[in-house]
Amino acid sequence: MSSCKNDVMELLNPNEITTQTFWKTESDALSALAACYSQLTVPEMWGDRGILIYNGRGDDFFIRNDMQQVYQASAFTNIPDNKEIAGLFSAAYRLIFMANQILDNISQIPNLSDEKIKAISGEAKFLRGLSYFTLVNNFGDVPLHLSVPKTKEDYFLKQSTQVEVWNQIKKDFKDASESLPIVYDAANVGRATKGAALAFLGKAYVYTKDWDAAIVSLLPLTKSPYSYTLVDNFGDNFTIAGENNKESIFAVQFKDEPSALYNANKAEQMFAPAEVKGWFEAFPTNKLFEAFQKEKTIDGKLDPRMYATLVWNYEGAIFYNKPFSTFSTPFPQFIAMFKKYQNYYLNNEVLGSKGTVTHSENDKRIMRYDYVLLMLAESYTQKNQMDGTTGANFYLSQIRKRANLDVTKTIPFNQTQMIEEIHHQYMLEFAREEQRFYDLRRWGLLKEEIVNSDKEGKEFYVTGKSDYFPIPQAEINSNPLIKQNSNW
Amino acid sequence: MKKNYLDWGELYYSLKKTLLIMRIAIVLLLVGFLQTHANDAYAQKTRLSVSFTNTQLAKVLDKIENESEFFFLYNEKLIDANRKVSIDAKDERIDEVLKTLFAGTDVEYTITDRKIILAPAFLSESQQQGKKVDGKVTDKSGASLPGATVVVKGTTTGVITDNDGKFSLALSAEAKVLVFSFVGMKTQEFAVEGKATFNVKLEEETVGIEEVVAIGYGTTRKSDLTGSVGLVKGSDMKSEGVSNVISSLQGKIAGVSIESATGKPGAETKVLIRGVGSFGNSAPLYLVDGIPVAGISNIPASDIETMNILKDASAAAIYGSRAANGVVLITTKNGSLGAPKIQFDATFGIQNIVKKWDVLNAEEWATVSNAAHDAAGLKRLDIANNPQSLGVGTNWQDAVFRTAPIQQYHLGVSGADEVVKYSLTGSYNSQQGTIETTGYERYNIRLKTEVTKGILKFGETLMVTNEDWRNVPSGWGSRADAVGAATIMIPAFKIYNQNAVGGYDGASGPVVNVGNPMAQLNLERNTTNMFGIINNTFAELTFFEDIKYKLNIGYTQNFNNNGKYTYKYDVGTLYTNPTNNLFESKGQSKTLLIENTVNYNKKIDKHNIQALLGYTYQTYEYKNSSISDTNLPDGIFVMSAARGEPNITGTKTQNALVSILGRAIYSYDERYLATATFRRDGSSRFGDAQRFGVFPSVALGWNVNNESFFKELFLNNVFSALKLRGSFGVLGNQEINDYLYAASITGNRNYPIGVGQVKWSGAIQTSFATPDIKWETTKTYNAGLDMSLLNNRFNLTFDWFNKKTNDILLNVPIPLSAGSSVNPTVNAGTISNKGVEFGFNYKGTSGKLHYNVFGTATHVVNKVIELGTGTQQIFGGVPMLHGANTTVAQAGGELGEFYLRKVVGVFQTDEEVKAYSKNGKLIQPYAKAGDLKYLDSNGDGTINDLDRVKCGSPFPKFEFGFGFNGNFNNFDLSIYLQGVAGNKIYNGMRQELEGMTLEQNYSKTTLNAWTPQNTNTNIPRAVINDPNYNSYSSSRFLENGSYLRLKTLQIGYKLPQTVLHSIHVQNLRLFISADNLITITKYTGYNPDLGGQSSNILDRGVDFSSGSYPLSRTISFGIQVTL
Repeated sequence: MSSCKNDVMELLNPNEITTQTFWKTESDALSALAACYSQLTVPEMWGDRGILIYNGRGDDFFIRNDMQQVYQASAFTNIPDNKEIAGLFSAAYRLIFMANQILDNISQIPNLSDEKIKAISGEAKFLRGLSYFTLVNNFGDVPLHLSVPKTKEDYFLKQSTQVEVWNQIKKDFKDASESLPIVYDAANVGRATKGAALAFLGKAYVYTKDWDAAIVSLLPLTKSPYSYTLVDNFGDNFTIAGENNKESIFAVQFKDEPSALYNANKAEQMFAPAEVKGWFEAFPTNKLFEAFQKEKTIDGKLDPRMYATLVWNYEGAIFYNKPFSTFSTPFPQFIAMFKKYQNYYLNNEVLGSKGTVTHSENDKRIMRYDYVLLMLAESYTQKNQMDGTTGANFYLSQIRKRANLDVTKTIPFNQTQMIEEIHHQYMLEFAREEQRFYDLRRWGLLKEEIVNSDKEGKEFYVTGKSDYFPIPQAEINSNPLIKQNSNW
Repeated sequence: MKKNYLDWGELYYSLKKTLLIMRIAIVLLLVGFLQTHANDAYAQKTRLSVSFTNTQLAKVLDKIENESEFFFLYNEKLIDANRKVSIDAKDERIDEVLKTLFAGTDVEYTITDRKIILAPAFLSESQQQGKKVDGKVTDKSGASLPGATVVVKGTTTGVITDNDGKFSLALSAEAKVLVFSFVGMKTQEFAVEGKATFNVKLEEETVGIEEVVAIGYGTTRKSDLTGSVGLVKGSDMKSEGVSNVISSLQGKIAGVSIESATGKPGAETKVLIRGVGSFGNSAPLYLVDGIPVAGISNIPASDIETMNILKDASAAAIYGSRAANGVVLITTKNGSLGAPKIQFDATFGIQNIVKKWDVLNAEEWATVSNAAHDAAGLKRLDIANNPQSLGVGTNWQDAVFRTAPIQQYHLGVSGADEVVKYSLTGSYNSQQGTIETTGYERYNIRLKTEVTKGILKFGETLMVTNEDWRNVPSGWGSRADAVGAATIMIPAFKIYNQNAVGGYDGASGPVVNVGNPMAQLNLERNTTNMFGIINNTFAELTFFEDIKYKLNIGYTQNFNNNGKYTYKYDVGTLYTNPTNNLFESKGQSKTLLIENTVNYNKKIDKHNIQALLGYTYQTYEYKNSSISDTNLPDGIFVMSAARGEPNITGTKTQNALVSILGRAIYSYDERYLATATFRRDGSSRFGDAQRFGVFPSVALGWNVNNESFFKELFLNNVFSALKLRGSFGVLGNQEINDYLYAASITGNRNYPIGVGQVKWSGAIQTSFATPDIKWETTKTYNAGLDMSLLNNRFNLTFDWFNKKTNDILLNVPIPLSAGSSVNPTVNAGTISNKGVEFGFNYKGTSGKLHYNVFGTATHVVNKVIELGTGTQQIFGGVPMLHGANTTVAQAGGELGEFYLRKVVGVFQTDEEVKAYSKNGKLIQPYAKAGDLKYLDSNGDGTINDLDRVKCGSPFPKFEFGFGFNGNFNNFDLSIYLQGVAGNKIYNGMRQELEGMTLEQNYSKTTLNAWTPQNTNTNIPRAVINDPNYNSYSSSRFLENGSYLRLKTLQIGYKLPQTVLHSIHVQNLRLFISADNLITITKYTGYNPDLGGQSSNILDRGVDFSSGSYPLSRTISFGIQVTL
């Protein structure tokens, strides 16, 4: 009796395939890989929330308080029970879980060539490395999951030290760099390349102050077979038309679809002013506004990057095809608004390209050639190599030249001056690009620069506490092996 | 009026010649009237119209019983009930009617209040032989009982009393005991012991004890019942029916805890039977005429005959794997013997919300806002710059809430003869919501018939229900919905703006993105339609009188349609919707139930056996598809007009349950009772290894009052009934999602790739499976005591229970770092619920006043015995958007008890802040004078979540209800009060409104915030960036949740018979009723009886800051007509 009843009750989920029937073909592996990439686009990572949280703590950033927990994260008044920060932590680990599934299962797929296994694994490792980079950078010591949990006990891991996590990140990027192609065909543009893996590997070395290794990783990107170059117009890096251009090394791809096919990118709506249906959640501080004016171009004008990054009430300022003066200033204490990444050439941020309420399809270029050049300049400076074609000035001058700054000005700089100049260039080149707070921390300048700014919440910055986010309370609650970061 | 026909064919003796077997049908009146007290007023007052030609006497008497409160007692063998009579009485008194009926016969009648005794006159002629003993048999009131039997025990020797109740009987030498009996009375025995005269008073048989109780797959006599079953009759659910069926039960059944639905029209109510033993769905299993249904709020109260609540394992075990949360059996009405009866009820009422939040007006808001910005050293908001210029501003609550009418109509016809019983009803219910634009409308049709032919009985229930809702849209931008927005929307903003697309104004500037509540309600048309058919068809064959085979086929099909039309709009500067959009979803669920049962009933001497065996099979399937599209032309509301890109989705789910079940109920001499039940369920929700579960139970009962020693001690003069019960059993729970045992691959995780950014389809596992997931099982012990005193006028029931649920199905939070998108459902814990329940009922009379006082009280203690990893804490009860948890489940504590940072005061000076330190380090480094002082409970020198302490329980220590029903002449009055005591409520709305950290409106109490000049206050200072986290979830917002509510007050008037007669109506009653009239509570929120907004048990007792539709007060007027 029970066997016939069992048939009646053998009801497989009609909505979804299960693990029993998955991991059988190459297309299964590829769709798993697409899902990993897709995780980059969730709000908590490089959708709107991630952008606000990565940038929020910088001395160049103000976030208004209607999204209370995002605001608190930016103003150093957050506590471990901050849902937005937990969202970031959680999203990064989801990506790791997905990437680990590929790494654990790919070799079981029948008739898949070693070549393909290597390539797909390489991408999975690249994405896992990116995720751990985000985690270690924001939370410090974090658990290191390198395979899918097999038993309940495997859910619980204690934290690895930052050194261990960094080593894993470097290993993942290195493995990826050895198995990924230099370029993809047109149908696959946007996937991680060898160049992307090397650039992030270099960034990992820069973050861990291993300057020699950084140079070894980054230098090849300046040469054949790579063909990365700076685009003439800095602002082209932030428009839809300029997606996946020669300067882009790795970009999180977004598409503007009214349907639920893709994760929505609302970051641009978050930054846009009310008049174009934005929510004006974030503003550049006046410190950033002033930093751009420290050095004029060789023809005595403002840095073109300032016009590409910010908009303010200058003569002839046009924003969303309207004079800037017609926009209200909800926070009049801040002179400018962000223009970088905004779809300012449209009439209305929210209407999007499809004419319906939707979201920006502007890709987030999270690794560009200009960043590689600055990292090289920084690495050489740290080695006190300023001059010639193998020195810091060579790479820095490419950045300065595009900005129409006097390329000869930095030639006489000593190491200290050069470091200061490079810090300054990072600030200008990558404002609103999720770098500033982390750069200040690795330079040991957080306290000094934050206190010396017009940032809201600067009085709540505490050295040794505010440098990293606390481990989210939900992780502490559910994982007895976890220790909270100090001072939280 | 309900009748039970009792079969007295098993009486254990026979009388010589005429009385071989006595079969007497008697009528038991179950409601409303007292039968024990002589009162001829009724007979004098009542006038009847009876018209029959050549009809059986029995039918005529039936008719009289049906249409009046009279009932007849007679010996069927002495009165020829088959005699054909004709009568045409109009508006006559009962004695006149009887005179006509029995003209020319030797039958004499005695009318005592509503009781009429019929006996043949010849009884007065002595037909007795010999004269050894004599005496008189009377009822309790002293009225003589003609036709009572007196026999010598163990023999066939006996006599029947004469019209004066007198008898005389010759006794042989062996005669030791005389047995006195009369139908409808309790049999009594007396030892002869040489006595010559026996004047015997017989007591009426207890009505309640002989009630038949539905116990699932059958019925049993209440006296044979060993389990704990709560019984509510349809007639007790106040028939005004303004409230839904369940909420009218609140507090009326011991052990059943009911939280009001929100005030949302047509909302389902949350029912918990004997505490909470599960994290998942704690709702009981509902069965309507044997068919499982998801909820019963859409069933008209007037369609319900009885509602039985199976509480303990003995009662519920027959439903095995679904019974752990209790079982609610609903039997719908059927016709009763007699001519067709037509019933019409109508009710009209108005509803209002009882309480609004006292929030700031525009000027006050600006003042508080400015203070909060100044304190933080931040720039004031532009709009708040000049408070005086703002005036009062918009009162958003006044705009959103309204007085809403409600109307209900119910029409039914029912009747029965020997072959067919039928009942056909139709209902219409229309209810506007107290929130603008919302509403509810329902149509019901129900048909129930039963046909008996020979050994075959065939019947069905068919119910068709159509429901339509206009809902409160979910809050715009994931922010507050219209209810929440009505409190937090800044009063400086306006409702309308003729120039804006859509016509509404809204918030602008750097304030919280609250959507104008009136815009939300009017610019988004959010509708739900549910159409459901419930059908149950059965055929029952009777073999050898004792064995009944029943085939039951149940089928339900529900269709739900959800629609959302969003008009294009610009509301303030924060919300925009550039095109008209449409969303439509259609779902369909089907449940098929096939049940084969065999019932065996046998009485052999003193042994009474009732046995049941069954096999059942149930499948459920749900399919859903939805489509949404954008850019519809104005004024067109159909999908094909949309010009955007459609998005289509669909899902399907199935499950199956296969069971075998059995039950044996045995009683010996009506003294010793035993019940054994078992059920074996197989569920598709579990993997192969854990698919089947067995759920057994046993119970014992003892009718102490039927013991001879009890009678010998004459205790039966005090106790009409005394029963002890005890049971043990195992019940199951399978309320988890389907397919959890297999890891699924989640699709639609796409990425745009390539130069043209083409869709790259993504799919991957996003959560962990639990292949070894198994049944949740609940062991229940129950001990009970039923008592009837004072000649059945006073009834008491007392139950003690201990429920222990093992392997609770739980979403155990696993570390975020494991990477799962949801927490896996595992069997991880043990919860116990212990409690006592008490219920009483007293029927009394005083002159013309007949009344009934009743009440229940329940006390349940809940404890988590073990959970998850052992030290596992599971948090819940997030009171507001992004709020911090307020409740916890952890071993050793109560499920979902409040777990909060504890406020110990307000810092009055900065020195106090500095003094609050540990090892030279400030405990609250960002605090200033006016901020809250928190308890550093773990003494580590900082305030964080580790300092949370247990702060009380969301579960009441006591839940109680009591009421009074009475009638005096033609007036009747019902009062019902209900309440809870000893629980806490976390007031999330107050947290939202007193926070002063967001650019939104605040509570009036913030005017009393701490300032150096206003220090005697518990409201901390206003500071917009709140570095001290004064607005964080803490004991500050925890309140006493006890309340006492006058839930129902109803006054009715029945038209006098004389008037009714002249308008050819049998019965006509008018009433005025008030629901939720008065609530006494210290709770400051809308309503301490929180609606079930969340199914998560850890959210119990948390009054969310948004989304709670306030409960309303209803005043209604109704009419009930019987033709």
